[in-house]
Amino acid sequence: MHFLTKRPNPLHFLYLLLGISLATCTRPQQTIESTENTYLRWVGDIEFDAAMDNPDFELCTDDSQIKQYFNDSQGLEYEGEKYTLERTIRDQYDTQKAKKESGWLRIRFVVNCKGKTDRFRVIGADENYEARDFHKSITDQLLNIAKSLDGWLPKTIDGQQIDYYQYLVFKIEDGQLTEILP
Amino acid sequence: MRLFFILSLLLLTSFAFGQKNCNVFLYQGDTLQYEACKTARQSGRYYQFSREYQMTHDRALEIYPNYADSYTSKSTAYLKSGDFITWKQLMNKAVSLSPEEHLGYRGWCRYQFFRDYEGAIADIERLDELIDYDIGHSVNSDYHLNIAKAICYKALGQSEKAIQIIETQMRQSDHFVGEYDYFHLGILYLEKGDYQKSIKLLDQQNDHNELADAHYYQAKAYQELGQVELAKQKVAQAKTLYSAGRKAFDGYTHIDDEIDLRDIEEYESALP
Repeated sequence: MHFLTKRPNPLHFLYLLLGISLATCTRPQQTIESTENTYLRWVGDIEFDAAMDNPDFELCTDDSQIKQYFNDSQGLEYEGEKYTLERTIRDQYDTQKAKKESGWLRIRFVVNCKGKTDRFRVIGADENYEARDFHKSITDQLLNIAKSLDGWLPKTIDGQQIDYYQYLVFKIEDGQLTEILP
Repeated sequence: MRLFFILSLLLLTSFAFGQKNCNVFLYQGDTLQYEACKTARQSGRYYQFSREYQMTHDRALEIYPNYADSYTSKSTAYLKSGDFITWKQLMNKAVSLSPEEHLGYRGWCRYQFFRDYEGAIADIERLDELIDYDIGHSVNSDYHLNIAKAICYKALGQSEKAIQIIETQMRQSDHFVGEYDYFHLGILYLEKGDYQKSIKLLDQQNDHNELADAHYYQAKAYQELGQVELAKQKVAQAKTLYSAGRKAFDGYTHIDDEIDLRDIEEYESALP
């Protein structure tokens, strides 16, 4: 094997340093003044859209306080754990009805402090990570399943209830769900 | 050799800051990249998902558009939010500028976050071809990249190749045993039907990093050997450890071969 004769990697130092930086999640700090409006508060923020979102869905905090599902260091939390989440999705997903398309589909949404969900948004990519739309036999099925999931666990940080962003990524091969992440 | 020593010294001193030491570029006489690096370092004040973090790296890229680290830094929030499209665009840029430094990270993330087994293997093997030193570890340091590559091969149905890669890697004198090396290897042997070897490897896993998951798979191996009482003991241990939180865990995604409590309970109830 090629790696049999290798010596320690000097660039590995660089890589580790970068990794430590990338793996570290710190809390938001003071904002800086800028005229740039390219970005929302945080990457992946989902603003309320009256055309598609439930007006009765309530945040326990407010939009500026919504966290990520991993900010409490507990990862994905669902009643019955990933086992139940995955089984629930697979039990409902009908491969026979799905068009034979492949790639990744992500559904991102908000879970409030009571475990209720809304603000669902979908993106898709082909096997080369190029944006694509999936046939509605896949998209609608997965979106409806995602909206029906009712086991999301409320999360807290430092004893405070939080609202958080959660996502589901589906790896799809010929219409079949081969992986469900995270 | 002298250059390597100085670069290593500069890099080691920057561990405390958790970011690249920009003096590396100054030493090389690359002032533009030095300025970009100094600007990029200011992003450490902000949460990596934030507008301010992204804008700080945009400023670094205005100074030096080919500053690869900033593309990778910008990509991470997209990765962690599941935006595979934007993440990949940014990582492609970083890899095109500095493949030796960024292929390993991209390959690992393709596996960890998207289970893109073919893509991860391609990146890791390309890195291996490009450099003549060790290809390094996953960004969370849990896996040597060869172990990650082996898991990808297993997922693609090439378990024998996975075993060979893991064993070759673990024989290296400088191999730093990862959090789950023996665990994955033990399960490969369990699936192969070599139960004694599987039990031994999972024992080594528990010596190194005891996991409920490892005891669970040992129970399965003992059952295959007809030793049901030992299987029951192992399941009980798995349950106890699980309750104590001693299980395979990653804060962002699930770990291959990890189990949930329902797996233990279902298996336990099915034992004779």
